[in-house]
Amino acid sequence: MTTHDGIVQPPRTATWLVVLFASEEKDSLQGDLLEEFSDLASRSGAAVARRWYWRQALHSIVHLFSSAFRKAPYSTTAAVIAGFLLGRVLFPLPEKAIFAVLERYRVFDSHFDAYVFFATYGIAIAHVVTSMLMGCFVALMTPRKEMIATITLVVLLFSMTSAASLVWVARGNTSMLWSMVPWNFLDWLAMLAGAAIIRSQRSASRTLNSRT
Amino acid sequence: MSSRDYLGEFEHLIVLAVLRLADQAYGVTVRQEIENRTTREVSIGAVYATLDRLEAKGYVKSHLGDPTPERGGRSKRFFEITAKGLSAVNRTHRALESMSKGLDAIRSYS
Repeated sequence: MTTHDGIVQPPRTATWLVVLFASEEKDSLQGDLLEEFSDLASRSGAAVARRWYWRQALHSIVHLFSSAFRKAPYSTTAAVIAGFLLGRVLFPLPEKAIFAVLERYRVFDSHFDAYVFFATYGIAIAHVVTSMLMGCFVALMTPRKEMIATITLVVLLFSMTSAASLVWVARGNTSMLWSMVPWNFLDWLAMLAGAAIIRSQRSASRTLNSRT
Repeated sequence: MSSRDYLGEFEHLIVLAVLRLADQAYGVTVRQEIENRTTREVSIGAVYATLDRLEAKGYVKSHLGDPTPERGGRSKRFFEITAKGLSAVNRTHRALESMSKGLDAIRSYS
């Protein structure tokens, strides 16, 4: 809990999450949450108010997500499909580039450990960066609904990975599963982080414009 | 008459709360009104999502109040029911009344 000039402030992370998902109603909604939080903090104490605020923020996100998707289903779906297709184009590129460099300098012959490192972690790290760019791209296509479109894309990719995982398990290839899944989680997190960066930047510039 | 002419359960609660609160209906008061009268916890996000939907249907309209310091300089968004919204709530009430009439297990809506 942060305090500023003796006034109890609501949890910043919870506020940030709400702002990520709210669109037109952002200012009024934040004001409502702050008003009730301050009232509750003065009546029941900071800890109770903080718990209430977190509960409200998390429940609100679910409703704001579904409401935003309902408002613009076609543009959101189009952004998700475009993001998915972009991923299909971009994802193999780092792999090709890294192997081209490794071949060019004959790393396999002279520095085998370095070859193994770049062929595994190098490609995986490049995929994380690519995922972040995909998140940025989808967010740029969906003004005010950045997180909604990106989360939908992540859910789609999660479903596909889950289906693939079931196939691997059925075939007894669990080593493949354990080597892929943690990196996939990192890719999805990077995608969401990319969208959150675009969303935060846009939100800040909108606030600045409305005050000037 | 299409099914869209009736209010959903939560929409119904929201419209009744806005009617009760008259010119003091904004996010906080609507949320608290429903919570106090139904003893069910309601999130502010659910209130806004439903009010947005009702506004898109033309059942409510909204306007911004002045920014206040206790809200961090943010405005209240006040809501009021339109004539179309009033017709919808009346229609929903009549439908519920008609469905519950004669059922001993349920007290009449009237």
